[in-house]
Amino acid sequence: DALLPAPQSISILSTNMKHFLTWSPVIIQGATVRYSVEFQGEYEREYANGSWIPIPECSLTTATLCNITQDISASVAYKLRVRAELGASRSPWATTEGFFNRATTSLTPPTLRVLADGHHLLVELADMGPSFQFRVLYWRKGQESRVQQKVLEEVSSVVHLDTMEAGAEYCVKAQAHVEAINRSSSFSPTQCVRAQGDTSMWLV
Amino acid sequence: TCRVSMSMAEIRAGFTAIKANIQSRDPIRTLSILSHPHSLHKVKSSDRCCITHQLFTFYVDKVFKHCRTEDSFVNRKISSIANSFLSVRRKLGQCREQNNCVCGEESTEKFKQILANYEGLNVTSAAMKSLGELDILLDWMEKSR
Amino acid sequence: SGELYCSLPNPRNVHFESINMKNVLHWSAPEGTGDGVFYKVKYAVYGVGKWIRKPECRNINRTWCDLSSETSDYEEQYYASVKAFLNGTCSDWMETTRFNPLTDTKIDPPMVSVSSTDRSISIILTAPEKWKRSPEEESVSLLQVYPGLQYNVSVLNKKTKKRWFFSISNNTLVVPWLEPGTVYCVSAQIHVTTPVLDSGFSKEHCITTLKDK
Repeated sequence: DALLPAPQSISILSTNMKHFLTWSPVIIQGATVRYSVEFQGEYEREYANGSWIPIPECSLTTATLCNITQDISASVAYKLRVRAELGASRSPWATTEGFFNRATTSLTPPTLRVLADGHHLLVELADMGPSFQFRVLYWRKGQESRVQQKVLEEVSSVVHLDTMEAGAEYCVKAQAHVEAINRSSSFSPTQCVRAQGDTSMWLV
Repeated sequence: TCRVSMSMAEIRAGFTAIKANIQSRDPIRTLSILSHPHSLHKVKSSDRCCITHQLFTFYVDKVFKHCRTEDSFVNRKISSIANSFLSVRRKLGQCREQNNCVCGEESTEKFKQILANYEGLNVTSAAMKSLGELDILLDWMEKSR
Repeated sequence: SGELYCSLPNPRNVHFESINMKNVLHWSAPEGTGDGVFYKVKYAVYGVGKWIRKPECRNINRTWCDLSSETSDYEEQYYASVKAFLNGTCSDWMETTRFNPLTDTKIDPPMVSVSSTDRSISIILTAPEKWKRSPEEESVSLLQVYPGLQYNVSVLNKKTKKRWFFSISNNTLVVPWLEPGTVYCVSAQIHVTTPVLDSGFSKEHCITTLKDK
């Protein structure tokens, strides 16, 4: 076994609550090296004799990447490990340095599209997964002090925000929020649209 | 009061995924760990925080470790629930330290009853039955939120 | 209990079908049996030490039994069981999985009523009621059972074919600034976040805004 070197450069990439373990390939000329991944949560370390749990989707895989999102499903400190396997021989485990907590995932602003349909202010938000809510801020241009907010849970299509005064311009921006880790992304760029109708009408 | 943010939906989803499997391993219809003879729904609101903390400690310390199965999918979901419970139990513990989670006589009695129910069975049966009753705990927590 | 030697094949697929907590036990006849099969039903509250026979479902030849009354306390969980009889022989008791009325029921869409002026429509939503024993019994709205209940409302402009979604917690919605003399179609869905329970969308209720005065 010792002939087969352990994978190197193992690291965790985590964006928007999707977490991946990656490592460098172990090169053995003329051979196909496979890998197996296991995880250990804080519970396993402290209450289950430091046991490790295999991830079947990443057992005997030839990929050098493993989607660990399904298993990193609590806001505690996790450890991951991977080893190389070639036939009957196995490399030592390579274990992540330190711990990984999903609370450190990087959160990107949501993809937002703002529409005006007559007097109605509408938004479309790209789905970011089940963990996400969206905090949408909107205001009438020039009345920046009177910002209004809506929290949207699920986004399936065009969501109605509010009605707009004739001819007025309204601006909208949104941030993603993950309740499970109590963190939010930065805001998306602000977008402004104009309501149908003529403001001069009010001057008559 | 003790306000603890927890992802109930994640724990629910984890349990729902294995509920049929776990409950099918519990053949005893006539005994319950959590709901009989006294229902959680009868616990006074002032005692709810304490009994929640006691129950999370009960599951972390006594239950999950005896629920390992031959099924990898089930084991992974149990790990997910156990680590979530650990995270929530820590926050509840902080409330206890700040005296926001006082234990009255009723919750002490109720928890004693739960432990007696648990110890009335062999450890694996008791642990599997307790895990199968997780929705009883979650239903009660959501209702009393 | 003095039962006969039971060599009859078992009833199959014994399960609860529940809508708005009207909880009906269903099953399929034993394999290979035609007419002439009779059934007995019993149920148990999980954690309570006895099975209880259901007299109204004793020696029945249909393959369902309404246990709504017996399972109406949604703070409890239940098992039910069915035994088949034919020509002097019988089957084993066949049980359901554990039934939790709170999480295992399906919810009907809300009732939708819509009215309009020339420039707006008003929508009133009514959540379905929990099953009750008799019309005289006090009604319990599913809103009381699921405090986190919300409504997703879809409003379709039939002229422009544009559909908007609203997510609201209270049961009324006024959509102003609409186009006069235009058909709008409304449908609504109930959404409970935890436990996860979604109704289907109601059928569409279309209404025409009045013509401009």
